[in-house]
Amino acid sequence: MSRDEIPPGTLYLLILKTLARHGELHGFEIADSIQRTTENVLQVEEGSLYPALQRILLKGWATAEWGTTAGNRRARYYKITAAGRKQLAREISQFNRVIGAIHRVIQPA
Amino acid sequence: MDLLTEFLRRLRALFNGRRLHSDLDEEMRLHIELRAQQHAASGLPVEEARRVAHRSFGNPTVLREQSHLAWGWGWLESFLKDVAYGLRSLLRSPALTAVALLSLALGIGANTAIFSFLDAVLLRDLPVQQPQQLVLLGTGAWDGIADAYGITELYSYPFYRELQKDNSVFSQTAAVFSMTNPVYGIVSGRTRPEPMKVQLVSGTYFPTLGVRPLIGRVLTDADDRTEGNHPVAVVSYAWWNRALSRDPGVLSRKLKLGNTIFDIVGVAPPEFFGTTVGQEPDIWVPMSMIASVPPNWGSYSDKRNESLYILGRLKPGVSLAQATSDIDLLFHRIWFSYRDAHTSQNDLANLQKTHVPLTPIATGLSQLRGQFSQPLKMLMALSGIVLLIACANIANLLLARSTARAREFAVRQALGAKRSRLVRQLLTESLLLAAIGGALGIALSVLADHLLLRMVSAGGDTLPLDISIHSRLLLFTLAVTVCTAILFGTLPALRATRLDLTEVLKDGRSPGSGAAKSPLAKSLIVLQVAFSLVLLVGAELFVRSLINLNNVDTGFNRHNALVLNLDPSSIGYKDTEPRLTALYQQIEQHVAAIHGVTAVSFSSFTFDQGSWNGKVTIPGIDPSQSTAVRHNVVGNDYFKAMQIPILAGRAFGPQDTASSQKVAVISEQFAKLYFPNSNPVGRSYHIGGSNSPWGMRIIGIAKDVKFQNLDESATALDYVDYTQHPGYLLDLVVRYDGDSTAISTAVQNAIHSLNSSLPITHVSSLDEEVSGSITQQRTVAQLSAFFGLLAVFLSCIGIYGLMSYMVSRRTNEIGVRIALGASRTSVSWMVMREILVLLGLGVAIGVPVTLACSRLVANMLYGIRPTDAASIAGSVLALLIVGLLSGWLPARRASHIDPMVALRYE
Repeated sequence: MSRDEIPPGTLYLLILKTLARHGELHGFEIADSIQRTTENVLQVEEGSLYPALQRILLKGWATAEWGTTAGNRRARYYKITAAGRKQLAREISQFNRVIGAIHRVIQPA
Repeated sequence: MDLLTEFLRRLRALFNGRRLHSDLDEEMRLHIELRAQQHAASGLPVEEARRVAHRSFGNPTVLREQSHLAWGWGWLESFLKDVAYGLRSLLRSPALTAVALLSLALGIGANTAIFSFLDAVLLRDLPVQQPQQLVLLGTGAWDGIADAYGITELYSYPFYRELQKDNSVFSQTAAVFSMTNPVYGIVSGRTRPEPMKVQLVSGTYFPTLGVRPLIGRVLTDADDRTEGNHPVAVVSYAWWNRALSRDPGVLSRKLKLGNTIFDIVGVAPPEFFGTTVGQEPDIWVPMSMIASVPPNWGSYSDKRNESLYILGRLKPGVSLAQATSDIDLLFHRIWFSYRDAHTSQNDLANLQKTHVPLTPIATGLSQLRGQFSQPLKMLMALSGIVLLIACANIANLLLARSTARAREFAVRQALGAKRSRLVRQLLTESLLLAAIGGALGIALSVLADHLLLRMVSAGGDTLPLDISIHSRLLLFTLAVTVCTAILFGTLPALRATRLDLTEVLKDGRSPGSGAAKSPLAKSLIVLQVAFSLVLLVGAELFVRSLINLNNVDTGFNRHNALVLNLDPSSIGYKDTEPRLTALYQQIEQHVAAIHGVTAVSFSSFTFDQGSWNGKVTIPGIDPSQSTAVRHNVVGNDYFKAMQIPILAGRAFGPQDTASSQKVAVISEQFAKLYFPNSNPVGRSYHIGGSNSPWGMRIIGIAKDVKFQNLDESATALDYVDYTQHPGYLLDLVVRYDGDSTAISTAVQNAIHSLNSSLPITHVSSLDEEVSGSITQQRTVAQLSAFFGLLAVFLSCIGIYGLMSYMVSRRTNEIGVRIALGASRTSVSWMVMREILVLLGLGVAIGVPVTLACSRLVANMLYGIRPTDAASIAGSVLALLIVGLLSGWLPARRASHIDPMVALRYE
């Protein structure tokens, strides 16, 4: 089964959307969720999630709190903020704009 | 807002750095474990599952680094690491660091100290509204009271009023008395008189400056409309603080000045010190009360009593040139209307030629400025040169050290450090060095400032100058520090990082690097020597000027004479009252009776106390040819008390009384000027015009004396007996044998036994008065000597350091030479020759530079030419000797190298 690299710049979009959809998630759940939702087509280098999450925290798009997993392990749960939702909307519209443009280019005449 | 909260989050991350890392680690660990569990659950063996999980996760170290950088503190951390590393590497060579820091602290400290004076005296704007609009009529060069016709420096009160009314270029016009009145006043509720400096100002003074009161009100024009009935005063913040301990009820306090009770109506703001830098009055009183403030100087209505400065605020849009021509026109019109029977054709002709300049006074007036501006600028230049020498030294030391660290840098570069990163590291080290030096320098400058203030304050009272550390000063020091760091750090840093890696790594002490480095290091030494020579010659010229001034024949004996100042005005005596004469005579008799006192006399002046100048009319001499002479009013024993020899005729005696023929003693120069080739004793002249009541008979000729300062040429001077010319006399001169303190106490007791309330305002000695008059020259001589010695000292360290370094690098070569039979003398000659060349080059550059520079200070020298060959030769010789001495130690070390040790060395 072939896997595709995620388009550059969309990692934030994917993380924020995932958080918006599922509420509180920890890092592994985010990665897992992205992979499952895309039916394993999109391949996130899993680790690269973490620098992105740090930046999301810095920007105030999400907050993080420590909690326990179902398996009774300590994990950090991320939760999207109002600023995060705004950012998500911005990212989505930007993404649509780009995709739309690309689509127009590659459409058969 | 977003940026702010983001910054706060960044900040929190900075302080919780460790927590951030452990959290991240735990998160990533969990991730990998859960993934491995997932793989294991799908059937992979446990080991394989873990491997796959790790692989798909990526490199945790890189990720951790990236997460870390996300917070944006990378630069700060690498800077802090550089600082920490820099500190360690500075501590690794403590001797070098100590020398560098000492040089820097002295250099920066001296610059900061001199700059704080320069700033206070020359640069700082007055703390008033829009000071750049303020202008002064004239140049502010004079202070005092004059009665000459058509002068541009001082003005009468009526003149001020007319100018105020008729000019069209000033939005506001104000007048201020050119001196502060030294008053012994009494604060209400107290009995003891206290000294206070009272400044008479026009009612428009505060409004013109735009100064608002801290408490109460300031003076207004309403306080200055009619003479004599506005006894109100504004006090300075400093005086309120000092004399009234910030009494909140200050507005209900009163002040008794002379015989008049003044209401305190306001306190000026803390930063306001008047319009004259270095004067700082305690009390401001409206000009309308001029006749009530002791010692009753000046006049409210006399058109020809010229004692005020006039200042104006330019109307918006009026240029200085426009204002000057308008005021000049008005100046001529008013003066022309002041002509009277005594005004000669000559006076009117002079008025035609006179034009009044307008001087911008944004930085205030200052008598200090005339005296100290050139010396301060020069000292600033000198201290700047010292700092340059210090920089050259440190650059050299760093160069030497960076050569020694070549291997370290090569290794780091080989490991992939960028050159820019290494340069940044080295510059951080320089900056660190400069910052520590700068901090030490500021500490040092605080000490130096107080020392300097004491040095420039002639006599007991320190000048009221604000030389505290303030933001502008710190900015200056910061700029100096950063510049020095860049100056001494850049070259060595660039040099150190330009490496041929393989060469250096192959051979830690490549001989090439030593040789490559020397031209730069040597030229730095040459420059140091040249600069040192400039400073040394300067120091010698100033010190010799000071010695010349000290050896000047004053004409009187400056030793063993006390000078006391009394203030009869504050106990109700009016100027020109005949009963003053009785008071003075009584005091003279009482003091003369003290054991150890040999002569005593009152006088209006002794030395360097200003002067009373006036024209004299001499029979047979064209009145327009006679210039002003200086007058001194003295007691019978003045010549004995001062020990001024009477060359012909007699001094004053009891036969000269208020009713007898008015008599005068004249100076040699007076006789020479106006009675050439004849004996003046017995001849007559007039003080003032030929119709004045002051027809004098000459009874004696006194030896010429210095009167205003030590470098003046002989001046025409006459002495008048105070019994025939009653008035305030400033000084009581007491000639004594024995212990000065005991005599001084006895004299003060004697005066107080006569009248316990008569204030003795100042006690000093004739010697102090004389040496006080050359404060500026002494300060310049002392400081330039200090800078000169500092420069030479720093250069010697430079020479010593460079030579030691060269010798240690050439140990091997020298060892070979000695092993091959070179004599120890020839080895040390080899080193000394190098030093001689450097010194010779330095001197060759230094001498012409010195000649060019010393010409700039020619007017600050006395009795010596700026190109004085002996001074230059002496300085060159001294420099050569200490230079060779500092090179001699390394040379000796070179000649004592044991060839066996040296050859094994490598």
